[in-house]
Amino acid sequence: MVRKEYQIKLDELRDDVLYMSEVVAERLRLALDALEQQDGDLGEEVITGDAEVNELYLELERDCIDLIALQQPVAGDLRFIAASFKIITDLERIADLATNLGGYAGEAHHEVYPDVDIQLIGDQTLEMIETAMNAYREETADACYEVSEMDDDVDELCESASELVVRDLIQREQLESDEDIEATMRDVSRLLLTIRDLERVGDHAVNIAARSLYMIENDDDLLY
Amino acid sequence: MSDSYHIQGTDADSSAAADPSPNDPSPSDSPANETVRPGETEELTPTIEEIPESQSVIRSEELTVHYGDEQALQPVTVGIPEREVTAIIGPSGCGKSTYLRCLNRMNDMIDAARISGTVRFRGADVYADDVDPVALRRKIGMVFQKPNPFPKSIYDNVAYGLKIQGFDGDMDARVEQALRDAALWDEVKDQLDSSGLDLSGGQQQRLCIARAIAPDPEVVLMDEPASALDPVATAKVEDLIADLSERYTVIIVTHNMQQAARISDKTAVFLTGGQLVEFGDTDQIFENPENQRVEDYITGKFG
Repeated sequence: MVRKEYQIKLDELRDDVLYMSEVVAERLRLALDALEQQDGDLGEEVITGDAEVNELYLELERDCIDLIALQQPVAGDLRFIAASFKIITDLERIADLATNLGGYAGEAHHEVYPDVDIQLIGDQTLEMIETAMNAYREETADACYEVSEMDDDVDELCESASELVVRDLIQREQLESDEDIEATMRDVSRLLLTIRDLERVGDHAVNIAARSLYMIENDDDLLY
Repeated sequence: MSDSYHIQGTDADSSAAADPSPNDPSPSDSPANETVRPGETEELTPTIEEIPESQSVIRSEELTVHYGDEQALQPVTVGIPEREVTAIIGPSGCGKSTYLRCLNRMNDMIDAARISGTVRFRGADVYADDVDPVALRRKIGMVFQKPNPFPKSIYDNVAYGLKIQGFDGDMDARVEQALRDAALWDEVKDQLDSSGLDLSGGQQQRLCIARAIAPDPEVVLMDEPASALDPVATAKVEDLIADLSERYTVIIVTHNMQQAARISDKTAVFLTGGQLVEFGDTDQIFENPENQRVEDYITGKFG
């Protein structure tokens, strides 16, 4: 084995990206807990904690640029670095979406829509992230396709949840007080945003899988 | 193996003849010493892009070279596309310079070299009995690692090949054109009578390129043409190679993989024991090589 320092740096980058993904998944987990418990303080924690993710992101971006500039990676190494460079952007966006969810935690009252299972959708997206990152770590192409299939389920869940909320709103009896109207508007818009944000988390997980597939097999099949 | 050639040193010129491959093999990195891990030899099935006969200017078929008892080149069958830059890369002792030197019969100068198989230039066997190697080298010119201008004026260096050829046209115009094509004219036009040896290293190399292209060859072979140059001179030579490929077929041996990646359209990778392992589009080789050992070599996992 030659270029030992370079090999070590590549291994470090992989470990660091995986660490970032764990931090991001943890943020999303906390945001979902905050939503479930309607815990505004916990939601706030997710928001302030985002600074750490941003810092990690910038650090890893710098590492990728340094590797490209100083080591002139080619072939599998190049694809690994290019994939990592893109994946950290998706992870950073997922963390941003988690802060959105954290922000809704103190405001929305989802019990008015008991049939909308935000936790179920959230768990699915977390599983997608985990599967995608496993594909990246283990270099397994099958797992990349699996993530893409899981996203179809998430999209379906999100669509039917949104439909349910809107249908319910239309069918609802006329609200009397201004206060009720206000509260309903807030609840509905927050809930629709929550659903949309989770749907976006799923999309980012698919992006991670797509970049991993490119890395593993030089295959851009899952990109768009 | 029926058409095998035993070449004796036929050409007069040859300080280079003493050493089979001056840049390459040292005892420590000869093929025999390369560590081959078990199970790896199977991966050496070559992946060679087929260049159609009509688009390849040079084609080698089952070309092998022995230096004495040592086989320097495993059978190489490949077509070199016309008016493109083909880079040949590989570790020391892999046979890349040996291969290059077969194409215009530079190996003729090495007594111990034994060549079999064929090299065709525009369909004609370059090792046929009636081929004059000196005439062949005007069609397939060569530029070496170390700039080697003749101890003559800049003008005479460029005019040399044309004079030998018996060219009786407008010599001044041809010299100027060759110097312009070699991106050297503006720097030397007021000192054409001064010695080529007075130029800087980078200028000397461009002078050698001007000398190689003055007789209007079809192919220019380059053996590590920029390895003795500083980065600025290297960049000039690289730019020049890109320009040259509009008119000539350029085949360049280089140790510098980034250089190969920057300047070539096709890349040939030679590995252990003189085998051509992969030949294809340069971007494909550097982004997604087919062969695992090519991947290991270009990413620096062995070498």
